[in-house]
Amino acid sequence: MKNYQLGEFEEIVLLTVGILNNEAYSVAIKDEIESRLKRTVSMGALHTALIRLEDKGYLKSFSGESTEDRAGRPRRYFEITALGKKAMLHAKETREQLWKAIPKAVLEYQLRVTN
Amino acid sequence: MSIVFCQLSTIEKVKTEKSNPPQIALRFFRWYCSPRLLDYIEGDLLEVYERRLKTSGKRLADFRFAVDVLLLFRPGIIGSRKNNYASNHIDMFRNNFKIALRSLWKNKPSTVINVLGLTTGITACLLIALFIQHELSFDKFQSKGKRIARVVMEYGFEGRPETEKGTFTSTKVAPVLSRTFPEVEKGVRMTTVSMILRLNNEPVTESNFLFSDSSFFNTFDYEMLEGNAATALDGKFKIVLTEAASKRYFGDESPLGKILEVGEKKTPYEVTGVMRDYPKNSQIQFDFLASFSSLGENQEETYFNANYTTYLLLNNEFAFAPLKEKLDPFMEKEMKGTGATIHFHLEPFREVHLQSPYPAFVSNTSMSYLYLLGGVALLIIVIVCSTYINLSTAKSIERAKEVGVRKVSGAARAQLFWQFIGEAFVVCCLSVLVSFSAASLLLPYFNSFVSRSFEFTDLLTPAFLLITFLITVAISLVAGSYPAIILSGMQPARILKGLFKNSSAAKQLQQSLVVFQFAITVFLIVCTFIIRNQLSYIQNKSLGYDRNHVLTLKIGWDTDYNQMKTLKQELKKHPQVVEVSRCGSSPEKIYSGYSMRLPSTPETEVIMVNANPVDEGFVKTSGLHLLAGRDFSQQDIELVTPEPWENKKFHYLINESAAAKFGWTPEEAIGRELVLNTTGVIVGVIKDFHFQSIHDALKPIVLFTSTWGGRLIIKTSGDDIPGTLAYLEQTWKKIIPDRPFEYSFLDDNYARMYTTETQLGKVMSLFSVTAILLACMGLFGLSSYMMQQRMKEIGIRKVLGASLMNLLGILSGNFLVLVIIAIVIGSPLAYLIMKNWLSEFAYHTGIEWWIFAVAGLVIISITLITVSIHGIRAMAENPVKSLRSE
Repeated sequence: MKNYQLGEFEEIVLLTVGILNNEAYSVAIKDEIESRLKRTVSMGALHTALIRLEDKGYLKSFSGESTEDRAGRPRRYFEITALGKKAMLHAKETREQLWKAIPKAVLEYQLRVTN
Repeated sequence: MSIVFCQLSTIEKVKTEKSNPPQIALRFFRWYCSPRLLDYIEGDLLEVYERRLKTSGKRLADFRFAVDVLLLFRPGIIGSRKNNYASNHIDMFRNNFKIALRSLWKNKPSTVINVLGLTTGITACLLIALFIQHELSFDKFQSKGKRIARVVMEYGFEGRPETEKGTFTSTKVAPVLSRTFPEVEKGVRMTTVSMILRLNNEPVTESNFLFSDSSFFNTFDYEMLEGNAATALDGKFKIVLTEAASKRYFGDESPLGKILEVGEKKTPYEVTGVMRDYPKNSQIQFDFLASFSSLGENQEETYFNANYTTYLLLNNEFAFAPLKEKLDPFMEKEMKGTGATIHFHLEPFREVHLQSPYPAFVSNTSMSYLYLLGGVALLIIVIVCSTYINLSTAKSIERAKEVGVRKVSGAARAQLFWQFIGEAFVVCCLSVLVSFSAASLLLPYFNSFVSRSFEFTDLLTPAFLLITFLITVAISLVAGSYPAIILSGMQPARILKGLFKNSSAAKQLQQSLVVFQFAITVFLIVCTFIIRNQLSYIQNKSLGYDRNHVLTLKIGWDTDYNQMKTLKQELKKHPQVVEVSRCGSSPEKIYSGYSMRLPSTPETEVIMVNANPVDEGFVKTSGLHLLAGRDFSQQDIELVTPEPWENKKFHYLINESAAAKFGWTPEEAIGRELVLNTTGVIVGVIKDFHFQSIHDALKPIVLFTSTWGGRLIIKTSGDDIPGTLAYLEQTWKKIIPDRPFEYSFLDDNYARMYTTETQLGKVMSLFSVTAILLACMGLFGLSSYMMQQRMKEIGIRKVLGASLMNLLGILSGNFLVLVIIAIVIGSPLAYLIMKNWLSEFAYHTGIEWWIFAVAGLVIISITLITVSIHGIRAMAENPVKSLRSE
């Protein structure tokens, strides 16, 4: 089985790109993550993640229109590739498998503690 | 195009009105960000900045902007420009290459001219570079070379200012110097002689027979194939062969311990070793290396009797000056009371070949000759580059549209510049390829030209390939850069509007290059004429002796007198043999030095003079003119036969100059006594003759009676030479079978004394022809382009009734002016340099005006012909054709 490399932040970015569907460009992604997850995302971290994901072939990008508020610079839109989808699914499945493997008692205990 | 500009400028405006993020941060970001990402991320930054500006004010927005920029400073985002264009560069290069080939193919005539020109130039340069590199590499392989000195002896007599200087030293020098001075580690004495060896029982003369001390192996590098170097030259009659000589005499067998019979007396020499042949670029050359002691001439009584070359191995390379300082006082002490002075000079071994006036075992090359050749190579390259520049600037009109379109599509000036340089490089590379094959074809001729033996593999050594590459790059840069600058500097708007013409600067450059090329050509032609003149002057000069149909043969210096007498009598029996004489040196080259004085003057006051031992036939054989007195007779010679030395009675013939030294007229000299070796009587006075190179003035000489001498000269009538030679050989083999019959003609020997000059003459003729060809090619190409531009003008003139001559006059007038300027520049230059060259000869021709006239005429007629070819073609065309298009 192929080994899908996907870091935590990368997974979030990938998922967000999925959520934004066709409207995913850097600032939108940043806003989306910030509003949904209540965490600040630095431009540097986000771009590095996007570049890495693109290099891995999980995302592909295309140039969009240039707008006035960007002083004529084009937007760069991202879209999940087939490979990206597989990687996401794979990540999700492995998580679920792991979830399932955890004994109930541990979880209850954990829940109790957190509560 | 203009719409895009509009948009951009409005955007600039909007941006500056609405927002200005901290410029330092922005600039920093632009500096480090990889160009691939720059636009997108900068857009993001600005978008976010804009938003923050609205929500949280300028200061905070500025601050957060800076923070963002700093946080973006990380590996994935930082990038250099280069990486991102890498693939693009290859594409661009491929495209440029393709365009270059296409445009070369399209302009076939100018490509052919350029490639032909460059090939000629580069071939000449390759050959010259090969020669220069070889000469510069002389003796560099000797690992101790920096510590080796060659001893030059200078001697004179007290009270006389003139001294003699040369590499001759006596056997005493090496042992005394190495004993006395701690700086001298080893001394090597050497002499090279011609020896008669027996190969398959036939006598053969081996001229590279070197006698040397065993310290040879301590001083010089060697590679022993067989035998032990430490002991090989210990003791008498030991000999080491080179690999080649061993092959020749012993085939594939090992010669170790075998015997070689050396000399007329067939002295047995034991072979004690075989060593690898010395490389071609060595001043020491030999086939046989025999122990010095075999000569039996080792003496430590006198510094005279100087017939050997001495090399010294010093203990370090800085010992030259200190040793020289100690040598002078030492020699002063040594020579005290002898009436003679001797000084020793030390020549650094590695500088001998290029800097010393005294030849080593191979003839030297003077540095000035190398400079001259290098200069010629440079001139040729300059001519070739000028042609290239001229043609490419002339045809730049055709490339202008391409440049315009490229510029509009965004080509930077630097890109265009390199594109055209690249084009020049492609042409150069093509030419280099052709040059290599041309050079390999020409190599045999070149070898005979410079009397070297280069092989094709010498062209392929890494060092030489590097030189070639450098030459190629240099030519492409020099030839390509001006057209590249012109073309890349064009303004696209003007070109595309069709307003383009060759700039006046370019035209001026073209014209000055034409002048330059032709000035060089005129210069070379004039030089060639003068050198050839001088050569024919040397050839035809009456030298005071007859050198036609005179044969010279080597004989043993002390071959028996009576045996030689028989030989001479037998030889004279042939009807074609006019006269025969045995002498010390043949008349074209008498260098042996003696001293003469009157019996009345003291022994310390002598006059240095050249002298030659001769017999009764010498004056007649060499056709010398007697001014007064009589020739030597058979009786005079017989008076020299008695032994020992004291019983011999000498007679002398002196020349005018010698008589003048004592203040005599020719008649007064007859019957006077003179002391040369011993006292003798002057019987006659002969006219001065050139017994040395005509670089030098006429000198005094004394001929004295003798029964010995190493030459036999034979004057023949010149008819039936093969028959005469056959007879001579047959008689020779009958009477002195141990001597090989090896002859040469006196006039050949004479010509050989001027090898350098002859070579120079040949080289100059070759290069001036090359220069003319190249300059013509350039002119041909240039005039064809000029003509194309003037087609309309010609058409109109024709319609208005201009005649052919009229038109030719108009068309060639322009070039004619340039060529005349070139003549005016080139001739005086040639005059000055050649005057200098001629002044090296004591006897030389004058520089006459007709040389310049002929050179000028040649150049002008060549120009007219070249230009007319295009002119006539242009005029043959129907004017309708050229005028219709508008």
